[in-house]
Amino acid sequence: MKASATNLNQTPLAAHIVERCKKGDVRAFRELYEAYSAAMYNICLRMTNNVNDAEDTLQEAFIQVHKSIHKLEREASISAWIKRIVVNHCLNTLRKKKVYFEEVDEVEVLAEEGIDEAQFTWTVAAVKSAIHGLPQGYRTVLNLYLFEEYSHREIAEMLGITESTVKTQYMRAKEKVRQIVKQQNVTR
Amino acid sequence: MPDNFEGFIRQHRNEFEEEGPSPRVWSALEQELTGRRKGKVISLLQKNWFKAAVIAVLLANAGALFYFTKHRQPQQQELAVLAPDIQEAGVYYTSRINEKLQLIDAYPDSALGLDSAARKELELRNDTYKALEKELKNNPGNERIRAAMVRYYQLKLDLLDKILEELHDKHVAPGQTKKHYEAEI
Repeated sequence: MKASATNLNQTPLAAHIVERCKKGDVRAFRELYEAYSAAMYNICLRMTNNVNDAEDTLQEAFIQVHKSIHKLEREASISAWIKRIVVNHCLNTLRKKKVYFEEVDEVEVLAEEGIDEAQFTWTVAAVKSAIHGLPQGYRTVLNLYLFEEYSHREIAEMLGITESTVKTQYMRAKEKVRQIVKQQNVTR
Repeated sequence: MPDNFEGFIRQHRNEFEEEGPSPRVWSALEQELTGRRKGKVISLLQKNWFKAAVIAVLLANAGALFYFTKHRQPQQQELAVLAPDIQEAGVYYTSRINEKLQLIDAYPDSALGLDSAARKELELRNDTYKALEKELKNNPGNERIRAAMVRYYQLKLDLLDKILEELHDKHVAPGQTKKHYEAEI
């Protein structure tokens, strides 16, 4: 996770800020927001694929953080706790947009013939663009696994689908990204 | 088979991060949070948060000799040994913060407002600052605390910028002095 999200995690200072937040201190809540908002916004942006939805989702998620912070236990990881709230809100945003996560047949996803990654010029911009163009379901699974570092099992629980479906979706998403990046390499 | 795609992402993970959200998110959030409250002090803050903040900062300024010389000087000396880079950052930010405090100080009290919440705000910020300094002295090599200390300075600076922006918008154009302002009213 980006360093900005972990600056305060599980330090005495973080505990101090959280305690002030629990007492309703808005200034302390701002400090918490400033520490985590950039990393959490990036999650929202990756998940919703849209700046306006990302900002709205971030706002809703932090309202939830504010409402629930009294439940946060002293030993818990603040960043993991906030991140989970943010991801849940992202998934709610997607569901409102009628994005459904459905079971798929478990089939082996083979790498496309002729894709030799060693010949690729991988760039951050190319990969971002490829992920941006993925179908929402694929993108969600890929983001949760690769960027947010949840396990296949955790993602399956979040999305209400089986672990094997998550694995299949992830493999397909990866192949799709490879194909798009390959195409970008060819047309360059 | 090595997965170049996954390897590439892990290797360049930080480069995939973009800038944080626009300031409108915090503004909306703050409105939502403070709007929900019924307390008198918070209501005052809701209406005049920037005024309260100004007063808090002015009070901080009034206590600056106490805080930044008598108390902080020995700590600075210690920090200069324990964490010279943070000490350097502290000097830089303190200078910038003092410049902005002087600008704010040019406004008359009537333009700033004054309530008990301001004092409370001040107390809380002092608590945070003290907690940070204490932690930094105890753990001078802890990157998270060092980063938090710098962040604290930045937040304070951001707050002063916002206050100045509000004051300029509502009362007087930038560059005009207290005297000019008083002449106008």
